[in-house]
Parts: sequence; C-alpha cells; structure tokens
Amino acid sequence: MENQPVLSLRKISKSFAGIKVLHEIDLDFYPGEVHCIVGENGAGKSTLIKIISGAYQPDEGSITYQSQILRHNNPHLARQNGINAIYQEIDLIPTLNAAENISLGNEPTRKGGDIDWRAVQKTSDKILGDMGAGLDTTIPVQNLKVAHQQMVAIAKALSMNSKVLILDEPTAVFSGSEINLLFEIIEKLKSQGISIVYISHHLDEIFRIGDRVTVLRDGNLVRSGLVGEFDKNSLIKAMVGRDIDFSLRNKSKITGEIVLEVRDLTSSEVEGVSLTLRSGEIVGMAGLVGAGRTELARLILGADSHSSGELLLKGKKLKSLNPSKALGLGMGMLPESRKEEGLVLVRPMAENIAYSQIQRESRFGFPPWRKVKEEALKMVSAVDIRPNNPNIQVTYMSGGNQQKVVLSKLLAADCDVLILDEPTRGVDVGARMEIYSLMKEVKDRGAAILMISSDLPEILTQSDRVLVMSGGKIAGEFSAAEATEEKVLKLALQIQEESL
Amino acid sequence: MKTQNKGTSWLSWIGNNSALVAFIILFVLGSIFVPNFFSRQNFSAILYQYAIIGFLALGQLLVILTAGIDLSQGSLVAFTSIVVALAMSKYGILPAVLAGLLATTVLGLINGLLVSRTRIPAFVVTLGMMGIARGLALVLSDAKPVSVEIESFVKFGRANIFGIPVSAIILLAFCIGIGYFLKNRKLGRYIYAVGGSEESARLSGIDVKKIKLFVYAASAFLTAIGGVIWTARLSSGSPIGANNYEMESIAAVIVGGGSLFGGVGSVFGTVIGFLLFGTINSILNLVGISPYWQGTIKGILILLAVALSQLRRLREKKSEVKK
Amino acid sequence: MINLKKYYSTQSFDTRSVINILVILLSMIFFAAVFSQGVFLQQKNLINLLMQNAALIIITLGQLLVIVTMGIDLSVGAVMAVSSVLMVLFQDFGVVGSIVAALGGALIFGVVNGALVTFIRLPAFVVTMATMQIGYSVAKLLSDAAGSRGGTVYTSLGGMELPTLYSEFYKGNLWGAPLPILVSFGFLILIALYLKTKNGHFIYPVGGNEKTAFLSGVPVWKVKMAVYMLSSVLAGVAGIIFVSRVGLGDPQAGGPWIALDSIAAASIGGASLSGGLGTVLGTFFGVIILGVLNNIMNLLGVPPTLQPAIKGLVILIAVYLNTRRKMN
Repeated sequence: MENQPVLSLRKISKSFAGIKVLHEIDLDFYPGEVHCIVGENGAGKSTLIKIISGAYQPDEGSITYQSQILRHNNPHLARQNGINAIYQEIDLIPTLNAAENISLGNEPTRKGGDIDWRAVQKTSDKILGDMGAGLDTTIPVQNLKVAHQQMVAIAKALSMNSKVLILDEPTAVFSGSEINLLFEIIEKLKSQGISIVYISHHLDEIFRIGDRVTVLRDGNLVRSGLVGEFDKNSLIKAMVGRDIDFSLRNKSKITGEIVLEVRDLTSSEVEGVSLTLRSGEIVGMAGLVGAGRTELARLILGADSHSSGELLLKGKKLKSLNPSKALGLGMGMLPESRKEEGLVLVRPMAENIAYSQIQRESRFGFPPWRKVKEEALKMVSAVDIRPNNPNIQVTYMSGGNQQKVVLSKLLAADCDVLILDEPTRGVDVGARMEIYSLMKEVKDRGAAILMISSDLPEILTQSDRVLVMSGGKIAGEFSAAEATEEKVLKLALQIQEESL
Repeated sequence: MKTQNKGTSWLSWIGNNSALVAFIILFVLGSIFVPNFFSRQNFSAILYQYAIIGFLALGQLLVILTAGIDLSQGSLVAFTSIVVALAMSKYGILPAVLAGLLATTVLGLINGLLVSRTRIPAFVVTLGMMGIARGLALVLSDAKPVSVEIESFVKFGRANIFGIPVSAIILLAFCIGIGYFLKNRKLGRYIYAVGGSEESARLSGIDVKKIKLFVYAASAFLTAIGGVIWTARLSSGSPIGANNYEMESIAAVIVGGGSLFGGVGSVFGTVIGFLLFGTINSILNLVGISPYWQGTIKGILILLAVALSQLRRLREKKSEVKK
Repeated sequence: MINLKKYYSTQSFDTRSVINILVILLSMIFFAAVFSQGVFLQQKNLINLLMQNAALIIITLGQLLVIVTMGIDLSVGAVMAVSSVLMVLFQDFGVVGSIVAALGGALIFGVVNGALVTFIRLPAFVVTMATMQIGYSVAKLLSDAAGSRGGTVYTSLGGMELPTLYSEFYKGNLWGAPLPILVSFGFLILIALYLKTKNGHFIYPVGGNEKTAFLSGVPVWKVKMAVYMLSSVLAGVAGIIFVSRVGLGDPQAGGPWIALDSIAAASIGGASLSGGLGTVLGTFFGVIILGVLNNIMNLLGVPPTLQPAIKGLVILIAVYLNTRRKMN
C-alpha cells in the first residue's frame, strides 16, 4: 500500500429536497487497497459513491483525484479518467454480447475503419482470462446469469484502465463459488494498484477482503481505520450506536384478533415464512436490503404468486390472490417506491387519494362521487397535505406530502390491514411525525399494520413487535421491550453470512 | 445454455429463425404444388414487385433498431418522385436523381433532428412529416402527375439483367452493404447499442443524438432510392400514391425478427420478411385465391412474429438465474 | 382579471389543457369569421363542419380512451370499413339486424385487440397494425363475396348499394338539428358518462402508471379490454353513419388515414401518447380544430395541395407544446 491517496474527499456534503444526507465527509482511498464502506440503509453509502462516480454533484466539498481537483464530474468523464462504478443495475447493452460490451466505445479497428472483431474477441478473452472468469462471450449479456453480467461489467471497467473501481453490493447476486472468484479477481486488481471501494453489508466479506473500513451513520462518518482495528462487534456498534428518543415509543398495548396469518410461505424470493398480525398492533419488519421483505409484502398483497404456503386474511384462506381481491378484504399496501408504484404522478392529488376507495365502494360500476370527493378533502386536512389544492399533479409535491397522499389512499379506502413499505423514506422530520401519529391513530381504531423499515430507530419506537428478516427467511422476533438496535442488526446480518 | 439438450436447441433455433423457416417451407411447398411458381419469370416478378418496399424496409430497419419508427416513408416516396420528375425535364437524369435524393434526405434530417432533440415521440414526428412531405409533393406538382419524358430513365425502371430486375440487383447491393455496415462499422454497431439501451450507450460515450439523426436521414435516403425507381416505373412523378408503404416496410422488419423496442433486427431477417410476403402473394395469385386474402395473412403473420418474440423474451427472462 | 389567472392556475392539468385548446379554437374561429367576412359563422357552414366531422368525432372518442391507457388503435379505419360492409350485407335483417351485425363485427376486432394487448402483452401498435391489415382485407373479401348476391349493385370500389331507408337517417332532422350531429353529440355525452363510471375513470391511473393502478386494487385487465372494445364499437358506429351518408358499404370507408387523423386530433386535444392525460371535451375541440383548420384553409384559398403539409405542421406544433408542459 502506498502513502499517497489516489482519490480524496474533503468535506463532502449533499442534501436532497432540504434533507441533508451527507455531512462533511473526509475520506481517502489508496491504490492497491480495498476500502470498505459500511452502514445501514440510508446511511449515505449510495449517495457517496454516486458523487464519486459523477452521477451526483456535491453541494459542498471537493474531490481530488490523482492530485488534481475534479470539477464538474459526470459519469462519462469519470469513466474516462479511470473512476468506474459497478452498480447492481448493470449498464451494459443487454442485446449485445460480452465481448462487444467490453470494447464498446473503444473498438479496435483495422485499416479502413472496420471493426477488428478478432481484436475485440482477444481483448475480451484476455481481460476475462486474467480475471479468471469463464463465461459465454457470444450470447447477448441479458441471457447471462446476473453474476456473470457483473463480471462483464467489471471487465469493461478494467478495459478502460480504471484506477478506482467501485463495487456496490457486488455479492448480492453471487453464489458461493462465484464469490470466491470475485475475491480472487479483487486480489489481482489490488496487485495492479487499483483502488477498490467496496460497499457491502456482509461483515464476513469485509474481514476477508478489506484493508480499510469506514462506517457511515445517518450521513456522518463515524469511524474509519484499518480493518485490523475492528472486530464484528465494534463494527456493529459503530453502525448503530445512537441515542434513540424512546419518548416516541408507542406505548399502547391493545391487541385483538389475528387478522393476517402467513403460514410457511415460499416463493423464489422467500422461504418458509410464517407470521401473524393482530388488529391494533404494529409489527415492524427489519432487515437488510435484499432480505426479502418487499418481496414478502408483495406476496401477502397478492401482487406476486407464491409456490407453496398459505395466506389467511381475517380467517379466510386466500387462493389466487391479487391486489384487487386483497383490497376487497380491506388490505392495502404503501409500496417501497412511491413514485414508481404508489402514485400516478401526472394525475391530481385528490384523484390519487381516491383510487382504492373507488374500487372498494363502487356499486354497479358507479363510484359514490360525492362521498369520494368529501373523503379526499377530509384527508387533505386531516393529514395536512400541502399544498392543499386537490387539483395539483402529484409530481409537484414534496416527498413527504407524496407519501401522505399514498397513505391517504389506504385510509380513504378504509383499509384495516396495512402493509407499509418504508413509510418515511425520503420524508422530512415534520411529515415523519405526522405519519407516525397517523399510524398510531389508525392502529388505535383497530387496524393492523405491518411496517417494513430500514430505519432502526423507527422500528424500535413504532413497533409493538419486531420481526427480523434475513436471506428470505424470518430470522427472529422480539417484543418491543426486548428489542435493541444491536440485537436486530446482528440478526439481520447473521444468516446473510451463513448463506455464503 | 449448456444445460439444454439437443432436442430443445433445435426448437429454439426454429423459434429464433421462424421467418426463415416459414419462407423455406412456403417456397418448397409452392415449388412443388403450385404451377408456374418455380420459374424465372415468377421470381423475377416477385423481386420486381418488392424491390421498392425492400429499400424502404432497409431504412425502416435502421430506424426501428434505435427503437424509433418512420411513418413518413410513403409520403417521402411521392415527394422524391415529384422532385425527380420536375428536375429531369430541365436538367437531365443525373442531376434530377441527385436532387431527389438530396431533397428527401433533408426531410429525413428534419425527422432526425426533431426526434433526437425534442421530446416529441418518433411516431408523432414522422406522422407530421408524412403530411408535410405529402403536402410539399402536392404543392410542387400542383396536384397533377408530372410526366417523365426521358426514355432511358423509364427503361431503367423495368430493365432486367438475365431476367432479374435491375432494381432488385441494386437492392441486393445495398442489402449487402448495409448488412456489412451493421456488422462491422462502429456506427452500425452503435445503432444496435442505442436501441439496446440508450442510457448505457450514452455512458459509454456514444453520441446518441448523432446516431438518431443518422438513422432517420438514412431511412429517408433509402426511401428516396425507392422513390426514384417508383418514378421510373410510373414514367411520371406522382403526388398521390405510395400510400401505406411504410406499413409494408414496418411489417417486413417485424416479421423478419425486428423488435419495436429496439436493439434487435437484421438485414437478412428483413429481406426474408418481404420475400415471405412476396412468396405468399405469388402463391395466392397463382392458385387463384383472391388477392384480398393477402391482408389477412399478412396481419396474422405480423401477430405471430411479434407473439414469438414476446415468448422468446419471457422465456429468456425465466432462464436467467436469479439471486 | 387577476381572479381569472388565479383560478386558472389552481385547476388540474387536464382542465388547463382544455382551456388552452379552447382558446386556440376560439382564436381560429374568430380569425376565420373575420377573414371570411362572416361567411364562416353562417349556420350552413357550421352545420356542414359538424356533419363532416361527426364520424371522426366518434372514432376519436374511442381513440382517446385507448390513448389514455397508453395504447393506440390503428385499426379503427379498417373496423369502420368492415362495419359498413357488414351493414349492407345484413340489410335483409332490417335496420336493427344490420346494425347489430355491423357492431357485432366491430366488437370482434375490439376483443381480439384487447386480448392480445392485455393478456399476451403485445405492443398495441403492432397488434392494431396487424388487425388493421386483416380488417381491410376482410372487408374486401366480404364485399367480394357479396358481389354475387342478387339485388345489390357492385361499384368499382367493391362497395354495395343500399335502399334509401338508411339515407333518410343521414338527411333526417330532429328539432332542426341533423341526426348525425346529434348522434355524435350523444356519444360525446355517453363517453363523458363512461368516464364517470369506475372502470371508465380508471383509464387514467392505468395509463398514467399501470403498476400503481395494479397495486391500488384497480382491475387493470378489465379497464384495458373495455377501451379496445369501445374503440372498435365506436368505429363500427362511424361505419354505420358512413353507410347512411353514401348509401353503400365500402371496404375503403373513411380513407386510409382516418386512424392517424384520430390520433392527431386526440393529441391536439390534449391526450398524451404516454398515457394518463386527455379529456372528452378536449378531444372534441381537437377534432373541431382540425375541421376549422380545413375550413380556414379553404376560405383563405389555400390550395388543397398545401393542406396536408399545414395539417402535419399543426400536429407537430400542438404535440410539441404538449410535451413541454407535461414534463415540467
């Protein structure tokens, strides 16, 4: 390891819609080192790497690359300079094969300007061979296993003489032997002097491959140092150690009948999941990204089909479920991605609030328009949606208000079994509190809420019970009293590592 | 695909080359059972009939590869014919042809500019151009056909060499040329890249705007060639006619395996596409079935082609190993 | 004035869209009235305008529904042709019988289009392009087959003649207004009412964001099937009106561009090809704008040769303005 960093960040800050997600981060990345960045969901890891790779511009601070300050970074420029990011959404051309993707934009040519296909094949064979990755370079990359697609993306980055390679959760899609292969590749890259930024949840990997590790929490750099200075426990402590305002804690203890029962549910994403939900309770579902929580939510709602297991809603066994049927029985979901699945952005706010209510309360195909309009206006004031013009297109509203619109949609339809997937993601503090009090109100009226969240304080303060999911299974359960951040995070991480 | 056994790989080959298979089957059946099908005269007639559409289909292929579409082709044919016919009486063959090619390509450039630099969908842009080009043709010709006097030009439109229409030979040359271009030139490959994933192409430094500009201009240029041939055959420039030619060219590309979503398609497939239509036409005519059946058969073929490619896409997604 | 501006800015996008289009339309009418020295505003001219566009209004209503769900229906012209031919073929079954036949045939296309788009998830463009080919072909085959029937006359187009009963409808009057105009207005109202029903209203979320609609409990498949079926049936109605106008069934009824015309009119009227936007009133204005445009061009003595070009330009400009506003 050399002493001069190839990439340095100084006082990097970034805010989105008034919410600060990175606070004055100082970081150095050295050539020939694997520098791991860890933190919970929402700690700021993706924002940080997007700034390094040029996809975002920092609001404050500077980036120094190879002793020069990087101004007006953009992804293309960053790539040309040798900073390459490999995300999970792979940016290859799906219809072209691996060899061509690797050379794309830099194709070797013969005299006369024709592409030298032999050279293209040679280049790709060499790079992949050096990596030790054997895969079919003649078929369109969209037909390759996702793990192989990642390798092609890495190969492409290497072909451009990368000095800094950013790997964002690379092993999320790899199986055991492939992970070993990836680590061998990483070792080779290290010996070539490439600096690797490695984002992962898998603490085992960090201790296996990492040289340096930095812990982010809530957008702040908490600790940074050589891997040898840490052990698993101290890492976890650094990731969570925050003061939780337990005065926010949900104190009510009214729980009634079981309204939702999941028995041994299995699909391609989850395995043998069983849980119960009672009226009047909020069950928090914790876990890391990729643990299968959203997939489980979709299975429960009927948006996806399961291969085995049973779902019982209010005692009724549900067969061939779909969201429409679920709604008829009073179940509704607030999706993880409100812009893509929770809202119709071009339509007015009041209309968005009404969709589920209209579906549920129409008789002979006719919605009760007056009631619908009244209900929408009631929601707007009860939930304090701003701006309060019912005609405004939802796309112009802030994240917090958009989230309130989606929540209103469920409430207007009188849903009493609510699945909330990241209810306060990207929501400002004020709206957050409002959403919490709404949840409490609804719960006190007898509704049952399954709350998926990556925000540990939220899980701990809002839930009556906490379930932890990991690797597609339920890893454990705590009551509100016994749950702590460390316990929850430990469970969330553990099985993930065992599945390696 | 190593896990697939030999049996299924036969089936998937057929699935991937369904147009070719259909063509071969029909060709063989026609040759055996339909009198006069397997004759130089008949093949010549088929090639003659579809040479013009062939040029349009090549242009349409380029556009469709970028996930675009060109609805203006029919009107561009008419426009070309008027320019060529008007210029020919004053300036002679070569300048007239060049003028026609140039003028039409300019219109194609406008298409390309609008598609690449505004958010107007290609569908609407070329729809608008369809009207504009047609209108220009009508204005320039005062809504009347413009006759072409020069004998040699008219002869060229119907000329044969060893029984094969000259226009078909020129088409063949272009097919080979464009096929080579799409396989071996950077610009050709970048067309596939833009269609496959515009975002990824941009990230790789490809000038997406330039590519889009190019394909619409190229489509217009090829259409113009078709227009020149059309003029020769009619021995006049006509501001009306050539209606719905773009539908024919789109159909040929799709039946030949092209996808409206971009990134998929080939010259070979497109050629098979319109040869398939030509073969069916011919068989129907020779057997004495009403030519009105063509539309139905063509429509069903298009549906089958697109259903097959959808099936293929679904199957490929499933065989992808998930986490 | 200040109040008007404030009122305008608080309205929904669709409403503002309609207001914008109305302003454009009124300006065009004003311009036409002035330039023609009042001739444009004569009752005869206005009635003519509405009569000529009655069929297009009806077809464009169907197209609107499909476009709002982010689809497209290229087959409407062909369906109109098939319906016109069917109507004549079944004339022996009386007025009701022939209408049922015409609409029934149209409905089949709607079901096929809808099923392929909704369940097999084929792109609407390709599906309706294919059914368009099939439709025109079927219309020709049907009229071909009927050519040998006694009592019908074969025109060179392959059309068939009809007893005058149907023509009476076209010339008919109710309270002074020609029947076809009333019928087109009737459908305007009917479709506006349809949009007040559950599945009618749901075309907006389905087109605006299908995933959201699905997760919100909307029965997406029902909504989509309905719009394609309605579009085809409305095209069938247009075919019936056509028959009453010219007294025969024609495999080329409506001309080769009526589908594209309806898409253009809908787009001018505020419907977005990306789905989720568009209104009945706006659609009506869109058709009338095209009609008035034609009228103005004739009044101004713009040669008919230039008209397609101007129409094309207008479409481009209208859609360009539309796309700019939406993506703000």
